[in-house]
Amino acid sequence: MQRKRVVEPEDKIREIPAVVFLFRSCTGSLEYPGTESAVTETLRCLEVEPVTDPDQTCCSGYLLTCSAHTPEVSLAVTARNLALVERKGLDTYVFCNGCYGYLKELSHILLHNQEYLEGANELIARWGYHYAGKTRIFHVQEMWYRLRERIAAKVVRPLNGLRVGVHYGCHYLARKYDILDDGGYPTFHEEIVEALGGTPVFYKERQLCCGYAVGRGFTHREEIVQPHLFKKLKNARDSGVELITTVCPGCNVALDREQPNLRERYGEDFRIPVIDLAQLIALALGVPTAKLGFEANTVPLDDVLAKVGVSE
Amino acid sequence: MDTDFYTPMRLDEVESPLQDEVEKALGIDIETCMECGKCSGGCSNAHIFDFTPRKVVQLIRLGAEETLLTMDALWVCLSCQLCVDRCPSGIDIPRIMDYLREKALREGYRPSRPAVVLFYELMCSCVERRGRVSEAPLMLRFNVLTGQYLKDLTLGIRMFLKGKLPLTAGKVKKMDEVRTLFVSWHRRSVKRG
Amino acid sequence: MNESMMGKELTALVIGGGPAGIEAALKIACGGYRVVLVEKESEPGGLLRKLYSSFPRWENPSDRIGWMVDDLKRNKQIEISLESTVESVARTDNGFNVTLKNTATGGARTIDVQAVVLATGFGLMDLSAYGEYGHGIYPGVLNSLEFEERLREWSRGLGKAPKAVALIQCVGSRDRSKGYPYCSKVCCMYSAKQAGVVKDLFPEAKVYVFYIDCRAAGKGYEEFLREVIEKKHVRYVRGRPAKVLPDGGRLLVRAEDTLIGIPVEFTADVVVLAAAVVPHPETAALAKMFGAPVDEYGFIDHDLRSHAKCADRVFFAGGCGFAVDTESALSQGAAAAAEVIALFNGNG
Repeated sequence: MQRKRVVEPEDKIREIPAVVFLFRSCTGSLEYPGTESAVTETLRCLEVEPVTDPDQTCCSGYLLTCSAHTPEVSLAVTARNLALVERKGLDTYVFCNGCYGYLKELSHILLHNQEYLEGANELIARWGYHYAGKTRIFHVQEMWYRLRERIAAKVVRPLNGLRVGVHYGCHYLARKYDILDDGGYPTFHEEIVEALGGTPVFYKERQLCCGYAVGRGFTHREEIVQPHLFKKLKNARDSGVELITTVCPGCNVALDREQPNLRERYGEDFRIPVIDLAQLIALALGVPTAKLGFEANTVPLDDVLAKVGVSE
Repeated sequence: MDTDFYTPMRLDEVESPLQDEVEKALGIDIETCMECGKCSGGCSNAHIFDFTPRKVVQLIRLGAEETLLTMDALWVCLSCQLCVDRCPSGIDIPRIMDYLREKALREGYRPSRPAVVLFYELMCSCVERRGRVSEAPLMLRFNVLTGQYLKDLTLGIRMFLKGKLPLTAGKVKKMDEVRTLFVSWHRRSVKRG
Repeated sequence: MNESMMGKELTALVIGGGPAGIEAALKIACGGYRVVLVEKESEPGGLLRKLYSSFPRWENPSDRIGWMVDDLKRNKQIEISLESTVESVARTDNGFNVTLKNTATGGARTIDVQAVVLATGFGLMDLSAYGEYGHGIYPGVLNSLEFEERLREWSRGLGKAPKAVALIQCVGSRDRSKGYPYCSKVCCMYSAKQAGVVKDLFPEAKVYVFYIDCRAAGKGYEEFLREVIEKKHVRYVRGRPAKVLPDGGRLLVRAEDTLIGIPVEFTADVVVLAAAVVPHPETAALAKMFGAPVDEYGFIDHDLRSHAKCADRVFFAGGCGFAVDTESALSQGAAAAAEVIALFNGNG
């Protein structure tokens, strides 16, 4: 399945860092705490030490879309967050497509507009922060793919052919010039699933948007989000998907939390559990399920865990 | 104005500087659009848009400012970025949508979906107060303020009973820094405005 | 005749045995000069040999290439060197020492020539840059050349009859994000032809062409296109599709009908991608050996005075200069031959 990539992972992450800054995600740390914990555990299993900072705030992506009329606040918040990382001299690793997209975009705007950069730095200078653009921004999925061989070698709980349908999420794939794979036909998650002993399922709607972006899960749930999810989940179920993985806690919320609502509205009970790719990797690497926070999921993972041979 | 209804758009009378404005503000070259429609074929929401992404770009060329600032698509766009990913000319349509949203709010147009703006305000205040966003309490406040008191209640209770619903968001330690950022910007905006 | 050439037997080297190269070789030979025709494949004919039908007259291109190759083989002035490539070139006072290498035997020989015609033709871009269309991923997604082969199989009753076929125009062409801002010129017409052939073979099949603009500038071209739409009932939808998805063993095409402004979907058995026309990668290297300029895409550029000349004693014809249809390839081959003959006659 492996193909020639637009950007080779070895080019994107040349040296494997010993320590990285783990940029916490609001949704991935609060709504699904298992995601953050799984990312941390997996990184440690792979001999990369994640560092976090209690002062880091929301990536401000929400701020950007939610305060379109004053984008400057988002720029200052981004500068402050990244300045925090720069103090530690580390690269930034995020585990949410939203954080990834917005940090990339906002740091790009800052670094290409002297006026914005000065304005933001002036504001954060009072606490001694200064953003210079030194920290590079990665998504942890890039690290997973970079370390796919290390992961494959450390699998202790192979997935026994579990049929996994992946969900990449628009906000990673659509950044076509700066991602690991071909946004039109990505396969790198599937390769990771295969390395874990699972069976990747290329269901038709695997690249369909979850519909949840920029708060539409709140504001247009019936109109946009549920029809999108119904189309996607129906296709996944018909293709025999037993588990869906995401790399974006926002997508995870939509795909998981909405299933009871879909049952009420459309009379179809999909019951396909949805977890983060990091949780799946951690599971295969033998991280105790107690640390993976599966109890936060609306659709329980009992069948999946039974298939992998984990008894709770 | 009843007469407008039967009058075709007078191209010789279009004098909107909108195209210039958008091109300058965003560094986008609108003229590179060849209206191939690939953006709209890939659009996650084209089926409910009143104007598909291709039409939005064409409307900017036509200078149809009023139409653009009052259209429904502004408030249902998912910002999924698929349009710009597919665009052969790399026209950043999501950024155009951001700009138009911003302009519509600044110029006092009433959004076709007030709930979106309410959500935005709640979200910002959430970051302003806590530094982070927690979905569940936010959803509760949103539902209360939009009059949907009972929405998600069963799900909420179910989750709460199972201990899944964090009713308070973890708070950023140095909250004063975040708040000051907002205050400074509020002041700045007042000075400028 | 000019003195240096007087009393010598003059030879032209033609590189490429497609319609342009064959026409150039035949006409130079008619002018009384010797020709060495180099072709890298095991038989001459070039792209034309691979086509099933032609526009604007629904002819069988194999017939035409058959006559041309017969003429070529019969002509005593022309030496055909198959499975050969140009290894190296040294410019002399009145021509070139060219070393040819036989790719089958590995043998090499050096010949003296006084003029060169480059006619290396064109190819189609590598479609792996378009993951969203799935070429090389889904077996039903073909580029236009692969589809000509499929048409030939269908005409012989081979393979499964299609219920629906989608032809996508401008895949690569007119896409500056992929580095091909130009129009490939021939796709509108050959896609109309291919769509028409499908309807002739399978009248019940649904055939849709997704286009941005239909460019039918040529004698009989617009009439040909209208015939395909009006008499053969091929449907045209204006809109560049955004993606092709696998759909229960078939292929789902998603697009916007830009004339109405609504999203549309079409399930097809075969999706044909009209890939951008690009020069063969070896063209630029060859041009460099002979001191000929190439443009940013690797097509050969002509000099100021003549449209068939690209350097001193170096001429070119056909697809190595830009996308051409068969008629233009033949005319350009003849034009290059006229230049060579004029040079050899001492009037060049």
